[in-house]
Amino acid sequence: MLILSRKPGESIMIDGRIHVKVVRVEGDIVKVGIEAPPEVPVHRMEVYLEIQGNNRGAAVTQKPPLPRVPLARPAAATESQANGSVRPQIVVRPPNPRRGTRSAVQENRP
Amino acid sequence: MTNCVTVGEQEAAEPRPTVQPVRMPTGLLGFESIREYLLVFHPDEAPFGWLQAQDPSGLAFVVVDPFLVLPDYRPDIPPPDVALLGLKGPEDALLLNIVTIHSPQRATVNLKGPIVINRHTWMAKQVVIANAIEYSVQHPLPVTQSAD
Repeated sequence: MLILSRKPGESIMIDGRIHVKVVRVEGDIVKVGIEAPPEVPVHRMEVYLEIQGNNRGAAVTQKPPLPRVPLARPAAATESQANGSVRPQIVVRPPNPRRGTRSAVQENRP
Repeated sequence: MTNCVTVGEQEAAEPRPTVQPVRMPTGLLGFESIREYLLVFHPDEAPFGWLQAQDPSGLAFVVVDPFLVLPDYRPDIPPPDVALLGLKGPEDALLLNIVTIHSPQRATVNLKGPIVINRHTWMAKQVVIANAIEYSVQHPLPVTQSAD
């Protein structure tokens, strides 16, 4: 692991396109800002490991018998691509930056 | 992709599954190198579908519409993922979440990391929703217990 020391406000450039900045230090919390192309996913490590572990536990090479689950609407699964039902519960926030800062830092909720 | 029932010939073809290729430019977490999948829905397996890797691994994942499991599910898709997928609004998105079959009587669904699909381009990404803390990675599915 490459270890670098940075003061608040200082940055690191990875692969010429991923910019990591120490935004602020508040007590023992380090606020880190990341600018990366959208195709580069960035995750908190503990969340990444949790989902990676869950994906690996869910992956199968042979199809198991599927449990009976009292959820199906008639033909819902096969029609879901066709009927275009609106899902207002999906929160899709527009990607345009609303703040005027150059780095478009946005705080993700923990 | 539809049932073929030929009236008059007293013959019905097997209901055909819906098959849709899906591209995942960033792959699934832990399976980043697999980018091409097939989404397969057999009518008699509803509400479950399959996300099948199109590489030699032969890996497959059971998926389900999360809103059937939790009608109040309110996943917050972060703006960079909205941009990557080209979503103009919630109506462009189809969500499927990965199911773990622990046993024939126990199954759970990951509500922290839905697979978000642009229903027009069929590009998809496993997204960690901004409000992941509100949901479980192993949300239980109500499995009908068998009598034996």
